[in-house]
Amino acid sequence: MKRLTHLPTLRIDPSQEIPLKYNRRTYQGVHGDTVATALFANGVRILARSLKYHRPRGLYSLDGECSNTFMQVNAIPNVCTENTLLRRGMTVEAQNVKGTPETDRMGFMDKLDWAMPAGFYYRTLHKPARIWPLALKQVRKAAGLGVIAPDFEMKGKYDEIYPQADVCVIGGGPAGMSAARAAAAQGLRVILLESRPWLGGFFDYRPAEYHDGVPLYRRARELAQRLEETTNVRIFSHTAMVGAYNNNLITAFQQGGPGDHFDERYIEIRAVSVVVATGCIERPLLFENNERPGVMQIGCAHRLARTYGLLPGEQAVFSIGHDLGLEAAIDLFDLGLKVACVADIREDGQDPRLVDELAARKIPFWRGWVATRAHGKKTVTKVSLSTIPGTQQRDFGCDLLVASAGMTPVTGPLTLAQAQLQYDLHTGFFLPAQLPPKVHAAGRLLGLHDALAIEASGHLAGLEAAADCGVSVDADRQRARENLDSRPGPVRGCKLVLAPVKGRKSFICFDEDTTIKNIQQAIAMGFEATELIKRFTTAGTGPGQGGIPGHNLPLFVAQYLGEASVAAQPTVVRAPLVPTFLATYAGSHHDMCKRTPVHDSQKQAGGVMRRIGVWRRARYFSQDFSCREEIVNVRNNVGMLDASTLGKFRIWGPDALQALQRVYVSDMSKVSEGKVKYSAMCNDDGCIIDDGVVVKRGANDYYFTTSTARAGVTGEWFRYHTRYDGWNFSIVNLTDAFGVINLAGPNARQVLEKVADADVSNAAFPYIGYREFTIRDTIPVRAMRLGFVGELSYELHVPSSYMQALWDILAEAGRELNIRNFGVEAQNVLRMEKCHLIIGAESELRTTLHDVGLGFLWDRTKTAAKTVGAVALRQTAEQEGRLKLVGFKMEDPSRTPKDGSLIVDRAIRGYICIARHSFTLEEPVGLALVEAPLNQEGTRLEIFEDECGDRRLYAKVVPTPFYDPEGTRLRI
Amino acid sequence: MNPEIWRRSPVSFDRRPAQTETRDNWMVVLKYEDESEGPYLIDLSPRTRWDVQDSHLAEIRPGGVPIPDKPGQCTFQKGILVNRMNRTQAAVWHLTGETPEPPAHAAYTDVTESTVFLALVGRRVFAITEKLTSLDFLDPARSAPFLLQGPFSHVPCQVVTLEKSPDRAGILLTCSRGYARDLVAAILDAGEEFGLRPAGQIAFHNWLEELGY
Repeated sequence: MKRLTHLPTLRIDPSQEIPLKYNRRTYQGVHGDTVATALFANGVRILARSLKYHRPRGLYSLDGECSNTFMQVNAIPNVCTENTLLRRGMTVEAQNVKGTPETDRMGFMDKLDWAMPAGFYYRTLHKPARIWPLALKQVRKAAGLGVIAPDFEMKGKYDEIYPQADVCVIGGGPAGMSAARAAAAQGLRVILLESRPWLGGFFDYRPAEYHDGVPLYRRARELAQRLEETTNVRIFSHTAMVGAYNNNLITAFQQGGPGDHFDERYIEIRAVSVVVATGCIERPLLFENNERPGVMQIGCAHRLARTYGLLPGEQAVFSIGHDLGLEAAIDLFDLGLKVACVADIREDGQDPRLVDELAARKIPFWRGWVATRAHGKKTVTKVSLSTIPGTQQRDFGCDLLVASAGMTPVTGPLTLAQAQLQYDLHTGFFLPAQLPPKVHAAGRLLGLHDALAIEASGHLAGLEAAADCGVSVDADRQRARENLDSRPGPVRGCKLVLAPVKGRKSFICFDEDTTIKNIQQAIAMGFEATELIKRFTTAGTGPGQGGIPGHNLPLFVAQYLGEASVAAQPTVVRAPLVPTFLATYAGSHHDMCKRTPVHDSQKQAGGVMRRIGVWRRARYFSQDFSCREEIVNVRNNVGMLDASTLGKFRIWGPDALQALQRVYVSDMSKVSEGKVKYSAMCNDDGCIIDDGVVVKRGANDYYFTTSTARAGVTGEWFRYHTRYDGWNFSIVNLTDAFGVINLAGPNARQVLEKVADADVSNAAFPYIGYREFTIRDTIPVRAMRLGFVGELSYELHVPSSYMQALWDILAEAGRELNIRNFGVEAQNVLRMEKCHLIIGAESELRTTLHDVGLGFLWDRTKTAAKTVGAVALRQTAEQEGRLKLVGFKMEDPSRTPKDGSLIVDRAIRGYICIARHSFTLEEPVGLALVEAPLNQEGTRLEIFEDECGDRRLYAKVVPTPFYDPEGTRLRI
Repeated sequence: MNPEIWRRSPVSFDRRPAQTETRDNWMVVLKYEDESEGPYLIDLSPRTRWDVQDSHLAEIRPGGVPIPDKPGQCTFQKGILVNRMNRTQAAVWHLTGETPEPPAHAAYTDVTESTVFLALVGRRVFAITEKLTSLDFLDPARSAPFLLQGPFSHVPCQVVTLEKSPDRAGILLTCSRGYARDLVAAILDAGEEFGLRPAGQIAFHNWLEELGY
């Protein structure tokens, strides 16, 4: 197809050819083309088939208002090809077709519309019920919008940015640019978002006069150039605004160009004030076959020629309801398009200069006529026109029908910003009756058509936004308002929705193949609210988000029902306003997690790393996930565990002890120097939330540990529970400051004494002792003698920068003993054998201190401390009906139940918290929370495991701990 | 002190050091090979950092430097950057490379080991940071240096804007040490298109000197 290469409005460079592959053939587009315009230039008119009826679809709006041009590009389905710029090497395929779009073997579906009335999906093929699953499969095979493989990997770079702005302007047309200039002139930081790849809006492609002989397109370029030269304005072109949230948080996504480092990026802007200047789209004209390829909107036809240099057809008929249609007909005629007729829905109100120009070109102009049918099996070959009442009819042969009922404002951003819209009788628009604070509207979306009025409106909105930012612009605003008032106001809009047709093939929603007949069927079934009709017929629920039916649906419903009480109400739109790749939302995929100082050496030693909370930890040290060797080694020899993820805190100050007394259940005044005190924290309900140890390092100076999970919140927990007391204490989180090595096993002392600069004998450093010493004269260590895994253990807290050095020193010192690492899972089994709890594993939100057998930690006498949870602990100490923690052994020693399995009889009586095969005891053991009557020793527990059917496992409640109940191994 | 026992920074760049120095058992990289012209990401983790908490902060002067009155304000004197965090807390960052012992006052806690400490300096730094955070380092209402606390690449951070000018821009940031690897990877990834590279301590000192500190 020959391009118009001489036009000053072009946005393509015909000298730069870009190839693309489509249907196994290579076509040539040019730089600046979209995928769809490149295909159009090569004679491709049918780009897709529709969702349900497999009707042929082609270019209609050029702005992505519907799924007509959704294709598979580079294996990515549902790419809107009419606003995706052509890039070298693209491979394009049609979707939802069997064969090619021109010869789709599923095209017969179009003749079965009688079998698919409104609500078909809800009402048909459901009786008998067994039919529906079979029918559903066939429906899904026949219908759809793109296919994606479960293992599909999105290629490309997807980025994100979070720029800051005082004023965010949405829309880069004349109003938006004027608003941005006005705000920027006040020294504010302005961001301008424009969905097309360039600024200019509806000035950009039009040669009509702006003012004083200057054409509109030149004015657009002037405004754009000035704006681009303004340093405090950031322009994001090819950027679709998709969301608006509280306090003017605006989200958008931008398509990358040739020089960009991203394919698409997510943009999140926090602005003080927002100006919405999104202009208008065209309201589709409804007639039979109104979506046949060859039918297109005014802007689509005009921009094809003026922006892409492509005449949209050879012989055209225009059926329009706006002066832009007359202007387009004149301009396209001058560019070489034959215009058979211009039918204007309006009886009057046209710009007389345009009417004269039509006459000068001898283009037939019929007022009060409208298209009623597009003929042609695949593309338009003929058009029927009729008078508005349908009394007269004429046919015209043509390959292009430019059809539009008028304009409709793009109010999606305003709706998302919580603006209230209501129908305006003069313009026929849904206009904002009330705008939220610090949100302004400007330009064509208010019904303005005059170019100077549009700019004046934008200028005023920019000043209003500047005022929101605290700039004093009262005098400027007054002048801007007077200027706007002196210009022509909103123009009267065309109200016609439906040509005089029955509507069986008049599509109100292209995405969902919803016809006027479907809407009438829904109304006949009793639906009157537009929102319900939308859902029942699915009109407007496709990827176009109501771009095509958004305005017509409520108008048609109101007109059809014809009752005074039925006012036209727009349906709700929701973010994202424009379909966006999930990959764009995912951004650069950084999974931010924490690593301990010995992460790498554990990994090198065979550690299998797993994400546990915010940390990545070594869970196993072999592919034997039962951890037999790691466990046996700790029980019989010595092992090293990286426990650096434990929460660690310093608390100090004159009232530090009071704070500890408030938060811990024990009497913390009994913390003595050189000793470790174990205690727990509860919430106000008496439910256990954490446990750990506390040591005293000086007068009013304590060091304590928490569980890994609570490390991030413990500081605030202390502050929250002491907020009314005015106590003088400070707390600092040292979780990352110290690495922790748990050196455990009967031979642990033999290793430590080789490297420690202190006496670590049982006498000098007994069980529950705390010591501070150095290792090899260099590494300062805070050492605790604990026994979480049930063996002689030293918990060595060391500055994180020295952690790797100490790890290596201990490994070397233990080499002759065959010291080895053990991971989190081995620790889990070891501590379970000893019945040492992990809060969260053997407790839940409703589990009190008493339920898990830790009631002995609670000091009832320290009432003055007002311990958190003490009141509830008193009330629940003897409460009936609570779940209690018990130990159990399996009747069948070959079978270990899964964690989380239920304890049942005729009802659920509890659940298994943890169960493992104990290599120490050589049988499976576990801990369960069960209803109190079941917690008696010897009780038989019936266990329901998922997917076990009618089979049950059985266990018996036994005394705890399972291992070393006297605790002698801790004290050796 | 055993000189063969090394302290390790949480940051390790995939670059070959060209010049190193030992300080207090830390191996400090002064310069990397092929540092080019920036922008730079510099590991300052071995530099001493203190947390100061007290209900009477105004009476405390870390290293003789006053603590600013309002949260978010910073003072940078004598190579010491003091950042007011909230009503009772301030952060003290020693930028000169010295390793002073914390004063005896109970208000001080040495938190050098708690955090990773990074400098991001040079051209287009804020084009990099806006890919990682919504924190407004160019807020016209604030004069550098100033402190912001919030998510940076989704990680809670303290960030000080030390310089806003486009050619010499720079921020200092700290966050929990454990996040070091992922944070550095995220920053380098974000900065790739702008030529961001790791650099040694010399680059940091040169930058400070250019700023007149």
